[in-house]
Amino acid sequence: MMLLAPHRTKALAGRVLRQLRADPRFVAVSLIIPLVITFLLKVFFDAIDVPMFDQTRFAVPGAAFIVHFVTYILTALVLVRERVGGTMERMFINGYRQLEIIGGYLGAYTVLATWQSFLILTWVALLFDLGYSIGAYVQIYLVIWLLAVLSMALGILVSNFARTEGQVIPFIPLIVVPSIFLSGMIVAVEDLPTWGQVLARFTPLFYANDVLQGIISGGTVLDTLNPFIALPLLTVGILFIASRTLREGT
Amino acid sequence: MTGSPTISVRSVHKSFGTVEALAGVDLEVAEGEIFGLVGPNGAGKTTLIRALVGALRPEDGEITVLGLNPRRDRYEIRGRLGYMPQTPALYEDLSAFVNVRFFAAAHLRNRAAEKARAALDFIDLADRADDPVHTLSGGMKQRVSLACALAHEPDLLFLDEPTAGIDPQLREAFWTGFRRLAAGGRTMVVSTHQMSEALECDRVAIMRAGRVLVAEDPRALLGRGRATIRVWQEGRAEETVVDDYSVDLPRLLAGRDRVDRVEIDRETLEDIVLRMIDDDAARSA
Repeated sequence: MMLLAPHRTKALAGRVLRQLRADPRFVAVSLIIPLVITFLLKVFFDAIDVPMFDQTRFAVPGAAFIVHFVTYILTALVLVRERVGGTMERMFINGYRQLEIIGGYLGAYTVLATWQSFLILTWVALLFDLGYSIGAYVQIYLVIWLLAVLSMALGILVSNFARTEGQVIPFIPLIVVPSIFLSGMIVAVEDLPTWGQVLARFTPLFYANDVLQGIISGGTVLDTLNPFIALPLLTVGILFIASRTLREGT
Repeated sequence: MTGSPTISVRSVHKSFGTVEALAGVDLEVAEGEIFGLVGPNGAGKTTLIRALVGALRPEDGEITVLGLNPRRDRYEIRGRLGYMPQTPALYEDLSAFVNVRFFAAAHLRNRAAEKARAALDFIDLADRADDPVHTLSGGMKQRVSLACALAHEPDLLFLDEPTAGIDPQLREAFWTGFRRLAAGGRTMVVSTHQMSEALECDRVAIMRAGRVLVAEDPRALLGRGRATIRVWQEGRAEETVVDDYSVDLPRLLAGRDRVDRVEIDRETLEDIVLRMIDDDAARSA
């Protein structure tokens, strides 16, 4: 087990946070774009003239999907930019280690994810006039936050396989399409063919949607404990693979 | 060379696809030397430096730096070496000071800020330390990149084309700084494709096509240079190319009644290096 130094992880997280402060446009994109997309979702739902269509069933999972997608893509792109710019190699040669780099980025971007999850949940609650209890909102926030952290881990993993920002593009549909069709948001997973039900278990949004549907139906996370625990467990698993695939050189 | 070399490279090979970037490199660098890697673009200088800092793994051969394998023992060795890559590799949206402090923080738990300021003083950029890197000129970015390599006071410095793209005045300032660092006991490996900079080094390795053609004191290389001797008699010049004009000149002048003048054009170091590279290319063809 290689010796890790918390001060290096802290230095890296500090550097990333400074970069976020120095790039207000990036922060605005991360925070505002999800809100804009959610607004468009509301416009779309309002246009659906189908009796018995319950918008609220889709509002929170929809918001979770948007956070998942935006966080995943932005994290992947930022890390690939480090590799392209040569600063990734410079970090390694200066002594930063894989887990410290991953930990530093995760630590810094968790600050962004915390605000992102709060803003989008507040926005969705107001836009769709959800009226849930405080306890329900707290649990929903926790699920969205865990999903955001998992999405960052996924972004870090994907960035290990892309040498340029353009190479990140094919990974977008690889994550987005299964999230939409296999998570249970649109079609119940039990109604999918067997292979679809198996693949669904590899989709982070499958677990998040399961827990969220339980909460908005009046339950708690304790009623869907297994999928709730799956979120941090998947995060740890993905981060482990990311640390093993983050290559230093050639 | 007495004592163990600081750097030892034995029969190192490295390919990228079908391109053989290092084709059996052998060399040694002694402690406290300024060792130059000189050669045209594509000679393998950057690949060799990256292998020496452990950024890539050779397919064959052995590299020892400070008695350690730079790849296998990288966590032990990295605090003792400083690396300046060919491109600045800086965070353009952050200040020079924050960049230097960040890279220094990998080695220095508590004194990174202090050492960063000292490094920026050394490269004479203290007055721009708090400006974002994207506002600095190319030469200033090179200096910040050098400061990132120096801040933690490493024993060994690897500088990949540190003077590329900078003006002659700044280049002279860089070499003055390098000589100060070497005088302080640091060992330096510096790559350049400017032949004129080879004379700044204690020893140079001339590289071509992934191989070292010769590794010696550049002044000794100069002594191996050819000379063109032109002997003018009655308005006509007789031109001879000789290997050692001190030996051949008396022979050329012997038996002549009257000589109007004698001109001797000695090869510059650049001429010698280019001749060696061309001869090697012709042999390989």
